[in-house]
Amino acid sequence: MVATNSDRLITMSVQGNIVSPGYPGIPAVPHQIDHEGRPRLLPSLGGIVYNVRLGDSVYGWAGDNIEPGIAIKAPDSAANQALNVFACVGNEAVAMSGNAKGARGVVTGKSGRFAEHVIISFPADALEQMAIGDKIIVRARGVSMTVDNYPGVHLKSLSPQLFETMRIEENDGKLTVPVRAIVPPELMGAGAGLGSESGAICIQSMDRKALEKHGLDTLRLGDIVAMSDYDSAWGHGYRKGGMGIGVVSSTDSIKAGYGPGVTLLMTAPGGEVDPMVVDRMNLADLMGIEWGRA
Amino acid sequence: MVRTNKDKLIEMAVCGEVWPAALRTPYRPNAQGESVVFMGTAGVILNARVGDRAYGWAADHVEPAVSMRNREDGPEHALHYLACIGNPAVMVSGEAKGARGVVTGEHAHILVDFEPDDLERIAIGDQVQIRALGMGLEMLDYPDISVRKMSPQLFESLRIEEIGDGRIRLPVAAVLPAYMMGSGAELGADYVDQDMMSNDRETLAQLGLDDLRIGDILAIQDHDHTFNRGYREGAVTIGLINHGDSFMTGHGPGVMDLLSCATDKIEFYVDTKNRPNLAAYLGIGNKSLA
Repeated sequence: MVATNSDRLITMSVQGNIVSPGYPGIPAVPHQIDHEGRPRLLPSLGGIVYNVRLGDSVYGWAGDNIEPGIAIKAPDSAANQALNVFACVGNEAVAMSGNAKGARGVVTGKSGRFAEHVIISFPADALEQMAIGDKIIVRARGVSMTVDNYPGVHLKSLSPQLFETMRIEENDGKLTVPVRAIVPPELMGAGAGLGSESGAICIQSMDRKALEKHGLDTLRLGDIVAMSDYDSAWGHGYRKGGMGIGVVSSTDSIKAGYGPGVTLLMTAPGGEVDPMVVDRMNLADLMGIEWGRA
Repeated sequence: MVRTNKDKLIEMAVCGEVWPAALRTPYRPNAQGESVVFMGTAGVILNARVGDRAYGWAADHVEPAVSMRNREDGPEHALHYLACIGNPAVMVSGEAKGARGVVTGEHAHILVDFEPDDLERIAIGDQVQIRALGMGLEMLDYPDISVRKMSPQLFESLRIEEIGDGRIRLPVAAVLPAYMMGSGAELGADYVDQDMMSNDRETLAQLGLDDLRIGDILAIQDHDHTFNRGYREGAVTIGLINHGDSFMTGHGPGVMDLLSCATDKIEFYVDTKNRPNLAAYLGIGNKSLA
């Protein structure tokens, strides 16, 4: 077992409300332009999503960057920043108001610059009971977690709960991490240059052949992926030899530069992380999320 | 001569004011995680102009010469979308009233070049008006190639040749691989720029991209910016360096979109003798390139 400082971490509640989807108003041209120039009107960020779950394919939905389960946000911008930075993938979430009060879920990811949501998976019966605006608390634990003897490895949005299930091994001074696929740097899109403590970075999906070539055309929500030649220590950007690990947290997009959203979990600008491609490496299996298994 | 619809374009005034620099917090992390004071955008920059080096400034995202914007959201976005590179600007208030400048870029602000004597006399808050001309510009015989943010004057100075089979060819100062494109992927291609990523200095030097100048015309390989900005094998985008380098991960000199094609209709070659740069093309900024 790879040692960390997880026994020194603080567990702190951060809270948000289930957010409504939103569209621009008058003059009533709410379309997004897809990568072939066609205007499309589709469900997008936010809301309670009943029929897209962890383990489902990220492709083929009549939706744009859909956040599976629920998306939450705090009404105050500083509190929302705390929610978005402190909440970690794998943290427990609890419904604190409404008909689903007491229901328990798991943080599965985050959304970027134009949403700043935390994405949480709940069982189907809890989703049935939930209302937009319900208070959801996250027992945030994971920020400032470090791996003993690996100062070059930065952990972001990664809970100790998830870290311990990822089958990470030490090999010759590097951490070997099982992943579903490796994303090359030319396919990293929206999110480049933005902060890496929260938010997401998209796998660009406009060029379908490139997706196939890199085995990225069968990705599922919750899949753990690697991002090669990327340094996400202080924002996301190209660096030869750098390696990131993230979790696929939202579905595909119709827009150029966009695609499935990835929430960063680990980054090693100097390359102290080695991805190992395996057939199956999904958050639902790792965290034992029964309702999310494909 | 490449046929365009330039005689059908509308010439329209847009305006704004010279905008002050602002600091939320003095420090931000650079790519190495060290705290750095960020300075470079906004205000009047007296010593960095189009044609000057994009790298090496002790500053971040340097916006050459004058940075302007409009206080109101609607007019501000009119300025962003209507103002085109090469459009004439005029100071309409302040000590430099009547001074004439040229639009050189669109970033957090609209960037306008003025002569040094005028720059000395321009105050924050002085009003600037631009005669916007270029939105809607099309190449009549090349419908697959999108044209953006260019005055007809800049378009005609790009030395575009027609080479048959529906293709064009033009000189560039350098060529960017797709993996170097960073911040700005999340924005529409009709808005500001996308930074090339400069943190990996070794790769930058290997690719010959470490001596770029503000105003350089570049090609981006395998990038289609016809509708938003993204990777597409075989596509080509032609852009313009509008601001200086950055300390931040995923940032670097900004590349504004000028031409883009989803297929291989745009050919390019690197011209090391007559550097394709806005300063030379429009006779502005650092005259050493003219």
